[in-house]
Amino acid sequence: MLLDIYDPLAPPTPIGIDLGTTHSIVAYVADERPVALITCDGTPLLPSVVHYGAHDHIVVGKAALSYATREPERTVKSVKRFMGRGAGDAETKRLGALKFVAPKNDEEAKSVRFDFGEAQATPVEVSAEILKSLKKSAVDQLTKVGGAVITVPAYFDEAQRQATKDAGRLAGLEVLRLLNEPTAAALAYGLDKKRDGVFAVYDLGGGTFDITILLLDSGVFQVKSTGGDSALGGDDMDRLIAEGMLETMGVADTALRTPELISLALEAARQAKHQLTDVERVEVALPKRGGGEGLYTLARSEFDQLIEPLLERTGRACRRALRDAGLSPDQVDGVILVGGSTRVPRVRSYVQELFGKPPLGDIDPELVVAYGAALQANLLAESSDEVLLLDVLPLSLGVETMGGGVDKILPRNTTIPAGATSVFTTYADNQTGFELHVVQGERELAEDCRSLARFSLKGIPPMPAGMARLEVSFFVDENNLLTVTAKELTTGNTQKVEVKPSYGLTDDEIERMLIDALDHGEEDFERRALADAKVEAQRILLSTKKSLLTDADLLAPEERQQIDRVVSELEATLKSADSAALVQARLDALDDATHAWAGRRMNRAIQQAIAGKEVGAVEQSVAHAAGVDAHVQAHHQASKR
Amino acid sequence: MGVPPTDPFELLGLPVSFDLDQAVLEARHRELSRALHPDRYVGRPASERRQALGRAIEVNEAFRLLKDPVRRAERLLARLGVATGEQAERDVAPELLMEIMELRESLAELRRAGDAEGIEKLCQRVEHQKNEAMRRLVKGFGEALRPGAAPNLDALRKELLPIVVELRYYARFESEAHAILDDLS
Repeated sequence: MLLDIYDPLAPPTPIGIDLGTTHSIVAYVADERPVALITCDGTPLLPSVVHYGAHDHIVVGKAALSYATREPERTVKSVKRFMGRGAGDAETKRLGALKFVAPKNDEEAKSVRFDFGEAQATPVEVSAEILKSLKKSAVDQLTKVGGAVITVPAYFDEAQRQATKDAGRLAGLEVLRLLNEPTAAALAYGLDKKRDGVFAVYDLGGGTFDITILLLDSGVFQVKSTGGDSALGGDDMDRLIAEGMLETMGVADTALRTPELISLALEAARQAKHQLTDVERVEVALPKRGGGEGLYTLARSEFDQLIEPLLERTGRACRRALRDAGLSPDQVDGVILVGGSTRVPRVRSYVQELFGKPPLGDIDPELVVAYGAALQANLLAESSDEVLLLDVLPLSLGVETMGGGVDKILPRNTTIPAGATSVFTTYADNQTGFELHVVQGERELAEDCRSLARFSLKGIPPMPAGMARLEVSFFVDENNLLTVTAKELTTGNTQKVEVKPSYGLTDDEIERMLIDALDHGEEDFERRALADAKVEAQRILLSTKKSLLTDADLLAPEERQQIDRVVSELEATLKSADSAALVQARLDALDDATHAWAGRRMNRAIQQAIAGKEVGAVEQSVAHAAGVDAHVQAHHQASKR
Repeated sequence: MGVPPTDPFELLGLPVSFDLDQAVLEARHRELSRALHPDRYVGRPASERRQALGRAIEVNEAFRLLKDPVRRAERLLARLGVATGEQAERDVAPELLMEIMELRESLAELRRAGDAEGIEKLCQRVEHQKNEAMRRLVKGFGEALRPGAAPNLDALRKELLPIVVELRYYARFESEAHAILDDLS
């Protein structure tokens, strides 16, 4: 057996994580091929199960699963279904064994909170435990772990995405990007097969369904449309079977069902479902209330009928996604299956009926998303030129109107990053405050959509109704995360804007949680912050040096001297720095020194894109650069606003 | 090259025309995304990342605008000096309103009857009307934007604005019909 010699100068290895409803996987890229890492359970698939035992004894994975039937109230399965959900969400009322803490106020109601008796946890904290376990496996095998790309269902809304990012941070990961699962799968197939064309990714996992239509063209993976159902998956198939089983067990009456019985039925249902992939009929002996055993039987044909309504829901989402993309099913070149639930034979035949062709499945449907995430992490770490992922906003973003309707600001399937600005005005004379309610969804009424945030813009100078000009800008970044800024135009000032997101943790809250979780609190936190700052600095130094090799012609001599000076200062600081703030100060200096040059490089790239040819370096001159400087200054001011 | 263009045509380096080649538009958008997408700037300093993000958003917004025939037409009219928007487009021809009302009623009936095929046929009819309107716009803009042309703004407004309004009504009808079709199947 070869021993891996640890190379202290080697850069950290970026990783990709599929944080799935039923299983989670961590992968990395070796020699251009994705590889799934072995988790603490000795397999690549880590059950997404966390058990909260007495005395803060937290267990993750197969070991936690073994507690599921014995202590179902302290074992969280499918935590993904609770991510980003408020305390009163319908998900908490579905068939299951967990107990929830009743919120005492609005703040607490923002998030679901699991009740384990003497302990509590939010879905973010539970997910963080899974991520910590995966991170540990990665560190054990790769020694130096870099940034992570974590995947989310394409149909996840803002709150669900933010929760995932928060979980990553809580687990001590640098989250490079949140990547949509179907796009990840398409990336894995696309890079593997090197085939251009239109692909549909049908992703049916434990708790979520996504359909994404993509166009692969010369290294650009462009999402044309996406749709799905963030509360539909294999778990629902289990529940349908479990209902029948609970009847056989003599507990059709819900009042008689204990958490242990429910958990038993759900587990037996899951196994029956798996067996029906290979056999035509299952028979399961189940304990009966009052003693003895009952026999539950299910034929595959009956199972197929049972799940037909679920499949129909996926069909509806597929048809809408195709329409949004402006395509018919026969224009799709290949259908990619993702997720364990696509192993169900009826699902495969349904997909074949829907698209008129047999689906692709040669890459393991349970690993393909993690593979894609690892590939993306690698591409980001290398700032690769070859491949680009263009994703879209999955759900329309809008603002609630006076009558309770929705004014759509950014429609679904807009390519991200995206931005839009709207101007609002006051409704009453001398109105000095303004409230904006941002929602996400396709429904007509704001109350039927997902509430994202409420903004209070205060200090509007008193004037007649309709005179004020409130300019509100919405930005959705490449992670599909939303930022909103507001400005009152008549006074020309940016008035106080208070953002109260209806979900998510503030930076302070996360910092606090991280400090609390570490053995030596503040000290460890500071040390980690310094390590993170150094990693970022190394990355920026590397990219700056790369740019100096290719675009130095765009620099005036004194600019070049300045940059060289600041670079050496940063390198020196990295050797001796003891605080993140010091490193950050040097990074800011480098930022200032290279800012104008960055604008010129960008202009050159844009010109090349439009012209479709190389613009000769000889044509670039300092005089040209000076003219561009004015624009860059204006842009700099604009982006600082 | 001084201040960057904010006009969508110039931003994407496309000819100022209503009759845009959709394939070229898509390809241009892809190429510019390659240059500006945030993923390309992961290892760069903060302000550079912000710059790229700002420009990437502008490119995506320009793309969205030019892809939508109604918004494309409105932008061209604005360039020519004809006012567009809610106020300018509030006069709707009674014939158009009647037509839309009838279409809506038919849609409601077909929906009650669960007649997906009937709705598809209705959509085809509207598609035909839409294409007709598009043809008129291509012709109208082709003339107005000819080099050396000095179009009468009032005449332009009277001729082209109603077609834009028509297109908008058709687009709205189509998305309603499609939503109903998705529910029916």
